[in-house]
Amino acid sequence: MMSLMKPDMQMDVSFYKVEEIRHLTDETFSLKLPKARFAFKAGQHISLGIVGGNQSREYSIYSGENDENLELLIKEVDNGYFTPRLRKLKAGSMVEVHGPFGKFGMEPELAASGKFVFIASGTGIAPFRSIVHTYPDIDYRIIHGVRYSKEAYDREEYAGDRYTLCTSRDKGGDYNGRLTGYLKTCKFAPETQFDLCGNSNMIFDALEILKGKGFDRDQIHCEVYF
Amino acid sequence: MITNDKKSVAFKTLGCRLNQYETDALVTDFSNAGYELVDYNASPDVVIINTCTVTNQSDTKSRSVISQSARKAKNAVVVVTGCMANNFKEKLESQENITFVVENNRKSSILSLIDAHFSGEIVHPDQLPLDVFRYQPVHKSLHTRSAVKIQDGCDNFCTFCIIPMVRGMAASRPVADVLESVRKTVENGFREIVITGVNIGRYEDGTVRFEELLAMILEVPGDFRVRISSLEPDGFGDDFVKLFSHPKLMPHLHLCLQSGSDKTLLRMRRMYDVAQFRKTVTKFRAVYPHFNFTTDIIVGFPGETDEEFQQTLDAIKEFNFSHIHTFKYSVRKGTRAERLENHLPEKIKTERSLKVRDLSVENKRHYFETFIGQTQDVLIEKISQGTVSGYGEHYIPVHFKLSGAQKNMIKKVKLTGIVGQDDEMYLMGELVD
Repeated sequence: MMSLMKPDMQMDVSFYKVEEIRHLTDETFSLKLPKARFAFKAGQHISLGIVGGNQSREYSIYSGENDENLELLIKEVDNGYFTPRLRKLKAGSMVEVHGPFGKFGMEPELAASGKFVFIASGTGIAPFRSIVHTYPDIDYRIIHGVRYSKEAYDREEYAGDRYTLCTSRDKGGDYNGRLTGYLKTCKFAPETQFDLCGNSNMIFDALEILKGKGFDRDQIHCEVYF
Repeated sequence: MITNDKKSVAFKTLGCRLNQYETDALVTDFSNAGYELVDYNASPDVVIINTCTVTNQSDTKSRSVISQSARKAKNAVVVVTGCMANNFKEKLESQENITFVVENNRKSSILSLIDAHFSGEIVHPDQLPLDVFRYQPVHKSLHTRSAVKIQDGCDNFCTFCIIPMVRGMAASRPVADVLESVRKTVENGFREIVITGVNIGRYEDGTVRFEELLAMILEVPGDFRVRISSLEPDGFGDDFVKLFSHPKLMPHLHLCLQSGSDKTLLRMRRMYDVAQFRKTVTKFRAVYPHFNFTTDIIVGFPGETDEEFQQTLDAIKEFNFSHIHTFKYSVRKGTRAERLENHLPEKIKTERSLKVRDLSVENKRHYFETFIGQTQDVLIEKISQGTVSGYGEHYIPVHFKLSGAQKNMIKKVKLTGIVGQDDEMYLMGELVD
């Protein structure tokens, strides 16, 4: 008879106390947690649950690899189950974080020499903020599509000439209209690497535009949000 | 260890090849420990049901097998393990007809749980060690081919898939363990090894990735051939294609397309598009024109339009899959697809499923026809009244006459014609001296 181990009792490693909730718009907020207890690559996502709850959702990490806080960008879904509960959390509330997961994001060896265009809709900007925090010196451009200009989350953190805001429902953007409309007007260097993050319709349309401009599918990397 | 009378054990396995491998490894454990392996109708002392939960249908089948087993083997210790044990743990634990519910990551220690039970010790399954790679190389098996597990879990988070919740995150078995397991499995007499896992293309142990591991496996000495189980169609380099020129590696891949529509693939959160899939198929067939591709297709995924479904039919024709596992989309609780809009009625799913099935049969016949007059090395798996059957290198089913045949022999067979319909279709052949 083999000796039997005690049940694994390391569950609390995944528990985090909420430090701060930053309200960015009426619907969108960032959840600031203590520094991650795991190593992650900028662009990866985690699974988030509320301690005592029975559901979880995946979110891209909004903070950089070496930042003092693990931060997540969350938009409340109308009539949703999970995000309204997240919104009610306060400093001191406990959440559960598992991960990191996924292959999307910056390959460290490419960061120094690559030319990058990050294309995001809504909170799909999260992995790109993580990348820019981690690699502040990379050669990048962000094209961010939102409905209203107030949804340009933390835009002051990006150099003005690197960030283009496309707004579809007000005139406050650098481009007034959908980001795909703007994308059609852009010219990019042939060696550009494209990273796309957002809803599946935006990604499908943006992929078609980029392929139409002659870029190889292997230069385009996607992370679909739901 | 058992000290008194010889106990008997029966196994029932549902679902994927990984589950089949894990059952085979348990069969080896129990056999080595002196248990008699019996059919589950033959009043065994222990019944082990290795369940599946990948679709609603899998749940229904698993539940049905649990009920039947418990009814037929009234005094048996009933152990339920596998993915359903993870997905419905509490519910299953509350059922009186089940003795133990053992989660996937503790499955490899079921023998110690049963030994403890018969010795009068009180051990809860949650006290078993957590280890998804603890399995012994298969010796005694329910199958002619033996799988070798190299990987477990997946963190792709495809929107329809429950696997990350029931199999956990991706984990790779250390290279040395894999190679040792292959060596021992070959020493145990197996002529065909199936490399298996949940998402084996994501294998990564230090700097060794799937292609490198496969190259090392092919260099293990011995007279055996290697087959790859289901694979995700992302990230193949030219080196992977070249590996198939190795005589041990069989020219077949089960490459999971799931849909021929890029829009649907994005909603599924798959990591490739149809053009990339095409690139892979073209690359292989340019070098190996007869290369066999089989696949999985999900029909009726939320929001799948007629046009998107037609793209899937077009892709099936274009890629000429010789066999398709067709799944009608079914909601898995807790997945992202559960929360997608536009879930389709069952009637549409059934209609689409039948169309895929018809096309699959047509493809199969066309593919089989290209083999008539060719020879295949067939691994004998079944023997019945002088007729033997097994699979050729390309994973095509072959029947032929042979007296004195034994399972696990490999014979050269000239293929002469196609027999049967639908899923029962096979190639008939004649032994080549």
